[in-house]
Amino acid sequence: MYSSHPRVFACLSVSLVLSLLVAFEAFSISWAGTTSLPPSIEELRSQVAALQQQTADLEEENRGLRRYLAAQEDSHMYIVVDTESNRLLLRRGNIVLRTAVCGTGSRHFIESETGTNWFFETPMGSFTVLGKERNPVWIRPDWSYVEENMPVPAENDPDRLVRGVLGKYALLLGNGYKIHGTKWTNLLGTHFTHGCISLGDDDLEIVYKSARIGTKVYLY
Amino acid sequence: MVLSALILMGAAGREIAGDERPSLEAQTSALREKISTLEREQDFLLFQKAMYSTDSKYLILNFARRTGQLKYKTRVLMDFRFKTPGKYPGRGPQMGMLVLSKKKEGKDDQHTLAFGRSFIMQWKQTVVPAEESGIPAISLQKKDMLSIYYALEEGALAYVIH
Repeated sequence: MYSSHPRVFACLSVSLVLSLLVAFEAFSISWAGTTSLPPSIEELRSQVAALQQQTADLEEENRGLRRYLAAQEDSHMYIVVDTESNRLLLRRGNIVLRTAVCGTGSRHFIESETGTNWFFETPMGSFTVLGKERNPVWIRPDWSYVEENMPVPAENDPDRLVRGVLGKYALLLGNGYKIHGTKWTNLLGTHFTHGCISLGDDDLEIVYKSARIGTKVYLY
Repeated sequence: MVLSALILMGAAGREIAGDERPSLEAQTSALREKISTLEREQDFLLFQKAMYSTDSKYLILNFARRTGQLKYKTRVLMDFRFKTPGKYPGRGPQMGMLVLSKKKEGKDDQHTLAFGRSFIMQWKQTVVPAEESGIPAISLQKKDMLSIYYALEEGALAYVIH
């Protein structure tokens, strides 16, 4: 009987080790099934590889977008008119080349005896310098006569041609709107024009000489 | 003997894996952070791309520098500075796009522009309308505020960067 003890002991020991191994395996499996288990090394490696790929993709996409945006921008000079604060800026991208006090539309309304009416407002939006004039001649429109209670002459009446009132230069924006000079320099910085943008002589000369036909003008 | 060898081999394997784990975890964390930065950058780039082909004015507001730009397509129309209240929660509103939800005319030109519940723009800090109390207000110079007020329509977009 005593001689069988070592064998029994050995069998019990093996059983115990096997039971422990099985229990350990079972615990490992159940642990792996829960979400709190940290990822395995293999999982971490593949996670890093996937994130590296995602980073590379995003970097490439952003490079492409930056190239696209850079291609849209240009280095041309442009003019901006803030009709609320009556300021004209000569800009090139983020650089302000010149700030000038200007006059813009009076926002007044007049009506003729025949019922025609005018609202003197500077138009808003994106414009282009369509022409440049030295010593521009003002062709008096009908409202100018109505405003002064004068009879409106015929369309081709030479009385309509007035020299000197628009200053030395004018930039034509279309539909009769211009950037020009004024003799009412004391009113610069206010809303006093009939829709055009008025500048003092010095500013006008610089703006005129800087602008080209095709220069963009933004009125807001 | 065999069992001991197996246990030792297993332990050795775990030790190698254990050495690599902190490095892999650090890489994962750094990459996730980088991706988040790149995604934010991409969002801003896509916003600019969209605005370059849209016929409406918009604002870019840099809360880190407290500067702003009124823009139309690629062109800067106006630069301005603004003040944020001392008790502004965090560094300012979350980076991203906002919509001008409400233009409100106030007495004596004290107009306000509301960008949802994120913030309102005004030129005088003392006149927060009652229904907007609790919303942080940023203040501009009167001249700048009025120019922006009349330049933008409700629905106009702004982009906040830090």
